[in-house]
Amino acid sequence: MTTGVNETAAARADSAPPTRSLADPRRTTWVVLMIFVAPALIVYGAMTAYPAFRTIYDSFFTIDGSDVSFVGWSNYRDLTGDETFWIAVRNTFIWSFVAPILDVATGLLLAVALYAGVPFARFLRVAWFTPVLLSYVVVAILWMWIYNYDWGVVNLGLRAVGLGWLASSWLGSPNLALGALIVTHAWKWAGFNMVVCLAAIHSLPGEVLEAAELDNCGWGAKLRWIIVPMLRPTLLNLYILAFIGKMKIFDLVWIMTGGGPLWATETVSTYVYKRAFNWNSFDLGYPSAIATVWFCVVCAAVVILNRLLRSTERLEY
Amino acid sequence: MAAIAMPRGFGRGALALVIGIYTIYTVAPFLWLASMSVRTTTEISFDHYAWPHPFHWEQFRIAWVDSDFATYFWNSTWVTVGAVAVVTLVGAAAAHALARYRFPGNRVIYGILFSSIIFPPQITLISLYQILVDYDLYNSLFGLMLVYISLQLPLTIYLLEGFFARIPQDLFDAAKMDGYGDIEIFVRIVLPIGMPAIATTLILNFIQLWNEFLFAVVLITDPEKRTLPIGIRAFMGDHFQDIGMIATGVMISVVPVILVYVFFSEKLIRGMTAGAIK
Amino acid sequence: MGLQGFGRLAVLIAAVAGIAGPAHAATQITMWSNWPDEPAKKDWVAARVHDFEAAQNQCTVKLNFIPKADIYTQAKSAVRTGQAPDVFYMEPDEPEFMTGGFLEPLDSYIDMAGVEDWAKPAWTMKGKLYGLPVEAYTVELYYNKDLVKKVGAEVPASFQMTQAGFADMVKKGVAAGITPIAEGVGDRPFPGGLLLFEALLRKLGSDDYAKLLNGQLSFKDPRVVEVMNWDKGLIEAGAYPKSFSTLKLGESHFYFYSTPGALTFPDPSWFTGRAFAAPESGGMPANFPLGIMQFPAMDGGKCPECKTLAIGGSFVIYSKSKNKECAGALLKSMATVENGTKWMEQVSLQTGVKSDSSKIKSTHAAYFAELNERDKGSKFFFGTPLLYYRGKCAETYAQVMNNAFPAGLLSVPEAADKMDAACMKS
Repeated sequence: MTTGVNETAAARADSAPPTRSLADPRRTTWVVLMIFVAPALIVYGAMTAYPAFRTIYDSFFTIDGSDVSFVGWSNYRDLTGDETFWIAVRNTFIWSFVAPILDVATGLLLAVALYAGVPFARFLRVAWFTPVLLSYVVVAILWMWIYNYDWGVVNLGLRAVGLGWLASSWLGSPNLALGALIVTHAWKWAGFNMVVCLAAIHSLPGEVLEAAELDNCGWGAKLRWIIVPMLRPTLLNLYILAFIGKMKIFDLVWIMTGGGPLWATETVSTYVYKRAFNWNSFDLGYPSAIATVWFCVVCAAVVILNRLLRSTERLEY
Repeated sequence: MAAIAMPRGFGRGALALVIGIYTIYTVAPFLWLASMSVRTTTEISFDHYAWPHPFHWEQFRIAWVDSDFATYFWNSTWVTVGAVAVVTLVGAAAAHALARYRFPGNRVIYGILFSSIIFPPQITLISLYQILVDYDLYNSLFGLMLVYISLQLPLTIYLLEGFFARIPQDLFDAAKMDGYGDIEIFVRIVLPIGMPAIATTLILNFIQLWNEFLFAVVLITDPEKRTLPIGIRAFMGDHFQDIGMIATGVMISVVPVILVYVFFSEKLIRGMTAGAIK
Repeated sequence: MGLQGFGRLAVLIAAVAGIAGPAHAATQITMWSNWPDEPAKKDWVAARVHDFEAAQNQCTVKLNFIPKADIYTQAKSAVRTGQAPDVFYMEPDEPEFMTGGFLEPLDSYIDMAGVEDWAKPAWTMKGKLYGLPVEAYTVELYYNKDLVKKVGAEVPASFQMTQAGFADMVKKGVAAGITPIAEGVGDRPFPGGLLLFEALLRKLGSDDYAKLLNGQLSFKDPRVVEVMNWDKGLIEAGAYPKSFSTLKLGESHFYFYSTPGALTFPDPSWFTGRAFAAPESGGMPANFPLGIMQFPAMDGGKCPECKTLAIGGSFVIYSKSKNKECAGALLKSMATVENGTKWMEQVSLQTGVKSDSSKIKSTHAAYFAELNERDKGSKFFFGTPLLYYRGKCAETYAQVMNNAFPAGLLSVPEAADKMDAACMKS
């Protein structure tokens, strides 16, 4: 592979790293690596590392006003007996494992529809993405009105088609609230997944899909045997991203239900916020313990998900 | 676009119906919000779904001028654009290095940078606050911008690394053979080819930071430095939610986001349709 | 002129500049207040600051109005990092600021005689006063005179119904298709418990009610259970709106005096903050038949004339402030009889600052007259449940007594169990 190097390239190569690196393009000097990676590491070191370590550190203390006292593992022990915490964990897990499936599947189907060339594709692409653009505050307000018992669209619609007995207080009923929130959240994010899937589908080699077309493959089969397998890395990326996002979810829940009714929508993040800001104390130790535990749980979950689902080869084509 | 046939007959009709319903489901709330932005709160309370009559365009003027939305708008712009520009550049550089080069500690660094996505911001808030105070950046837009950069960096690296890793190695081998330096490769090859992913990340970061609320409310206390989401909160008082004005404020807030999206999604689509290989 | 003369001229110029101009030699203090959306209270605060600045020139005030939820988030973050403003808004149900040493005692700054004695305990710790109680309120039961008459219920001359009478009114209201009690807990942790806890106060009397709120009396006490059963009966008869869990406090106001209308509305007397705003801004219509009645007397109740009195918005000084002198002077200027009277006049609400009721000239005189009538002869119990409940107990109150129980999601034994588990000090 070292044949065919001409003078201009040689001139450029003088400033390039020595021969060893030329032979393996995947290696380079530390200088170059530093140029690429250092800014990110500096930002991380200055702004993310300290809060992260501080949180773990704080979890071993109890703070009362300005007095800080070391309590060892006591916060963690209290966690195991904390009923509200376990309810929050359960809710967050339901949310994190179930909702991403909905999100990613919807995104994929929308992307396929756009790729297949439905009319007005350009308008639809923007239209379907609009919810992503809205802030959580706005989405929360809009959907609280939509779910309103007396004049919200959902109940009005149900009553109009004679299904009035189904009309309920969507956010006020412990059985329905979590589902209602999941729907709202999916409404907001489907468009993002669609855009990513669309980009991924476009980067697939066209020949494969055309060949399938020639073989008279229906869209169901195309989806199942070609698109999904080839898009696997993207879909998994999206799933993991959605998973992490839902493990951390806060804004939407806080504004729409505040964790109620009867803790039916209490998530780990809302509980952390309550303990840090609403619990009539300045104690950061206990919420820090929750945050630390949760951090470990999410990390572990992501690693496991990766091992189970991801194939490690890079797609070469 | 692709030269693939649409499903025929019944499939087509069903598809059209589903797409139609989904489009209504997606767009209707937003249109409803737009209609409320030109109605007063009293009108809305009496009939939530009526067509605006008359159109209260002055609500926009009230928001922009009387409620200082002009100031908040520019604050938001300066902080968000600055943060997004920096985080995209820094993130892309780091993602490229992590995706392309083998070096000891590659996966460790990736793991560290990625894992910081997971910390709930409600807790890191206090420590971050303390950091800003120590660096004398509290209550400053610049400080908020730095916080925003650090907030979005892990996500950016994660998304871009995944995409950059899938760029075929042959391109790099060829470039290296042609004598390109590493940084040149980054600028001339990775950035253009990675444009779809970069555009996606950029859009996502912009949206998330433009609408970011928790850090803005805690770290900025001067009214002149407030960002747009805080400005909208002013209409959500204790006793009285000025729904009409909230809608107006939201419409003002949403316009730049739509513009950014439309502009960058063009790049995104162009990148997608141009194809990675060519 | 000579050096001395020049010097004197310089001093003169400096003195004139000091009097005529602001800022250069003056200290600026920062102040965070609530009530950005309540014009009457906002104007009162702004006027006090303006008067203060006009009366002296050593201190200027940078005043911000911030919604309550944000004030607490900001304050809690700010005090931990030494960045809190010199003066800020606080309510007595956040005692951790006081106990944590973040507040400055006011004893040496303000005239203690300017504060009502009954208002002092809410902010007193170890004998020192830590907050200036500006907003005070009683818990009242407002009602729509016309609608109540329309459904055939009668309000006795004492304006206090019996337990059965109230239940009867609820049934009549439901039968006529009018919601008996407008209430919503969508964005507040307390409204749902108002009716029940006011009833408990009248049944148990001040001493035992205090025990209940201090976790020394069980919710399974037969008297408590009796009242809860009565309340449960009302709930099951349909007393509350169906959208109770998600209806916001502001919306519940509108529900009561506009659309769709309701018979009664239990609310602290800060009801006027919204009701007396212009109707276009969501206020009460001009000729609304507003009445005030007492909460119903309980059968065999110990204290039918008891009533809850509490302190709401107050102002405190940050203990690590660098401008305590100015902050203290500001609060001192606020705590006068004249200002207390102005508050009552302009805001139509009680205050912890001493006031002169004979001097009140208000457009809402009739309302005030009626309010005073109802409060005359009342035995006041100080504090709402959330003033006493803390941490897990407060959270349980908000979820159970405020939300789930009135929404009909829990039975009496279940609710009592949960409250005891969280609040009983064994």
